[in-house]
Amino acid sequence: MASSVSPIKTTAAGYVGYQGREGHYAFLLHRLTGLGTLLFLLIHILDTSTVYFFPALYEHAIALYRSTPFMLGEIGLVFAVVYHGVNGLRIAVTDLWMPKRWAIQTQRKAVWTTLVISVILWAPAALWMLYNMLLHNHGINILPFIGTH
Amino acid sequence: MTTQAKVKPSFEAIAWRAMRYSGILLIPLAWFHVYLQDVIVGVHAIDIDYVALRLDMVAWVVYDMALLAFAFAHGMYGLRQVSFEFIHGERARRNVSLLILGLWLVVSLIGAVALIGGARPELISH
Ligand code: HEM
Repeated sequence: MASSVSPIKTTAAGYVGYQGREGHYAFLLHRLTGLGTLLFLLIHILDTSTVYFFPALYEHAIALYRSTPFMLGEIGLVFAVVYHGVNGLRIAVTDLWMPKRWAIQTQRKAVWTTLVISVILWAPAALWMLYNMLLHNHGINILPFIGTH
Repeated sequence: MTTQAKVKPSFEAIAWRAMRYSGILLIPLAWFHVYLQDVIVGVHAIDIDYVALRLDMVAWVVYDMALLAFAFAHGMYGLRQVSFEFIHGERARRNVSLLILGLWLVVSLIGAVALIGGARPELISH
């Protein structure tokens, strides 16, 4: 590399400064949710592997996952996996079978559609996880018509 | 009419397609896993006996193995792509690729051994 410009700075500045509206935000969110899910997956493979290698450690790991900060993280994780999947499907289907639809106007609408679908798929799961978290960790029942289970 | 020269697809081109097909496969595979374990069952109902019960069933071991193979490879290859946007030197890219490849192999192996070995709650002394 003979260039005097740092590629790290150039790339990072492009992520922040590029004004690509919907497509750019979808790109950033896809990247963030992909890397976030990967980080979780890496930790998750290792902590679950303790059931075989160090079974006594597993209950400590699961105790951590039951804590309120981690459960809030899990609610975020579900959104990450859902959004990354819906948006990834938009990318994959357009790339593989309908590249003509890579037009800015078409994709602007498609980006909003992916966001709406993601929230619809995520919201019931998020509510249910929140209910479980408040019930088990704080003794609060936010869905009294369901009772406790 | 367009004419296209037939060339052997490069590694990057194959990987580009693999990212898309594996992503489509991961929608049922990863979503069902996350909704089942994290939402329907929930972390308060999961303990080592639950894991042992699950990993005693061959079908779940096969399912988890597919998830481990596809999700982790997809994610680690994605990490390589992202890192290439920040790292442009040929040598540096080779080193990062080898690092990611190594991490992927080691962690996949650990995960696969644990899936086949299953949970061993009998080893916990109370
Ligand atoms: C749920 C189904 C999924 C679909 C449909 C999907 C789809 C995609 C697609 C199409 C790309 C390529 C983007 C590109 O090359 O321009 C991608 C990138 C990526 N995916 Fe997934 N994926 C899924 C699940 C996952 C999971 C479970 C992980 C975590 C292990 C993950 C991590 C990543 C990462 C880190 C990238 C690179 C990010 C980037 O290039 O900006 N994906 N995904």
